[in-house]
Amino acid sequence: MLEIKNLDSGYEFLQVLWGVSLYVDDGEFVALIGPNGAGKSTTLRTIAGLIESKGGEIIFNGKSITKKSAHIISRMGISYVSEALNLFTDMSVRENLLLGAYAVKERGVQLETLDYIFELFPRLQERRDQLAGTMSGGERKMLAIARGMMSNPTLMLVDEPSLGLQPNLTYDVFDALLQLRDQGVTILLVEQNVNATLDITDRAYILEQGKIVMEGPSKEVKSDEHVRNAYLGI
Amino acid sequence: MAKEQLTAPKTQENLKIWIMDNLPLVIVAVFSLILFILVYLRGGPPQIFNILVTGAMWALLATGLALVFGVMNIPHFAHGESFMIGAFVGYFVFNPLNQYLYDNPNSLLQVVAPILAILAAGVVGALMGILIEKMIFAPLRHRTKKGWVMNAFLLTVGISFVLTNGTNLVLGPNFRGIPRFYDVDALQLWGAYIAVDRIMAAGIAIVTISLLWFFLQRTKTGRAIRAVSQDETGAQLVGIDLDFIQTLTFSLATAMAAISGASLLFMFQAYPTVGVTPLYFSWYVVMLAGLGNVAGAIVGGFIVALLQSSTQMFIGLSWQSVVPTVVMILVLVIAPSGIFGSEVKGVQEQ
Repeated sequence: MLEIKNLDSGYEFLQVLWGVSLYVDDGEFVALIGPNGAGKSTTLRTIAGLIESKGGEIIFNGKSITKKSAHIISRMGISYVSEALNLFTDMSVRENLLLGAYAVKERGVQLETLDYIFELFPRLQERRDQLAGTMSGGERKMLAIARGMMSNPTLMLVDEPSLGLQPNLTYDVFDALLQLRDQGVTILLVEQNVNATLDITDRAYILEQGKIVMEGPSKEVKSDEHVRNAYLGI
Repeated sequence: MAKEQLTAPKTQENLKIWIMDNLPLVIVAVFSLILFILVYLRGGPPQIFNILVTGAMWALLATGLALVFGVMNIPHFAHGESFMIGAFVGYFVFNPLNQYLYDNPNSLLQVVAPILAILAAGVVGALMGILIEKMIFAPLRHRTKKGWVMNAFLLTVGISFVLTNGTNLVLGPNFRGIPRFYDVDALQLWGAYIAVDRIMAAGIAIVTISLLWFFLQRTKTGRAIRAVSQDETGAQLVGIDLDFIQTLTFSLATAMAAISGASLLFMFQAYPTVGVTPLYFSWYVVMLAGLGNVAGAIVGGFIVALLQSSTQMFIGLSWQSVVPTVVMILVLVIAPSGIFGSEVKGVQEQ
């Protein structure tokens, strides 16, 4: 579904990614983990089209999306739930969700998806008329993920959903992601909570200093010596 | 019983907190109310109607400014030139129609002619907005967003110079005015005579603002415009085409300024520098309301009009720009983000 070949990317005078290659197959739940500053978010932002790549190629469903702008990539079926959430804070929950389905032409389909989302996240239904900016951190994460789902994406890129959340809310968010996976949505997840992430994902990539240093099924990655020392503290 | 006793002082407490939080707004509201009553006692209904007409026009101009600043972060100083273009288009459409009507009286055309002129101004304004955005702001935006607010400001000042002097070169510095849109007797309302032209101008402003409000609140594209003003990245991520929304916004703002230029033709006439006064007053409005705050700009328009006409009435005509300016300085000192406390995202980031 998604294939990245030798991706170089970064900011104006600072290259962050050096020849990153990875792939995500249909229906897979893949984790991208690594220390702070390794380039995990940069990878996702480059795929989503928010940063222009400096080299390499990104292929989605057989088509190159390397230099496409963010709104076109979003309309092709890639939904990026950013670390900063980028919610529309002065709009209600319902309006945020409807905007998530901006690229969906038929009003009927929009409302159907909205009903489905409310079923999946009852908390959001309770707060449908509340302004997004006045909600708690956990609810905002939920809203960002839900907004990302409103466009019926085939691939979701989720950036640090557990950041700044208390542990039980983190598990709520992970549950939501697992439910998504069960619906057949392909997910590429960036996380700091390595232990829990490796428990729920199928495969994992380890990114260090802008390079992929290890890849494999999550179970194998979890039992690896280097990972246990560096990330799990065992 | 004990609970009720507890809640009563609490609401009072909340009210107190709210007043303290919104002190500039409360002061302006109270001050405006007092002024309004004074103006009504001294001038009666005609003055109130005058405030309504001017206020609606300032509101129409200022909503355009607020939109452009909120969505595109452009401090727009060529807004007066959109007004000027609108006035000229209004003149050049209405005048021939009027001449034609002298020879061939036609009651239907007589009623429709001013509306046609104003609509034509709106259309030309919209096209001009698209042209300016595509030719000037879009290329800059794609090249770099560094120092955007300052660069955009300088560009609008440049556009203003080019348009003013270009018009001067092509059409000359002459005043082109019309005596009135509707050659009929003033209507009697609440014991006062009010010119039909004024009623029409106020009506057009109110209809245009209501349409804009409906568009922003209820339609998908309007919602996308608000989304871009709140979070550009978020808007891109849900599939909103930033270029399209920004061109549309600029075009809407220019069209609204052109509409007000054409509908005030009977007051202002058309000449190259006619836009200066409307520009200043609409900037007063957005500074008072808070940059980028569209709802605030509508209320602010009427407050500035009230200030203006009460100054005319109690101090003197020549002070009508001085007093609002002093009030603006006070607003900037006391409440720099405006009385409605708007918070424009993205300016600090750039």
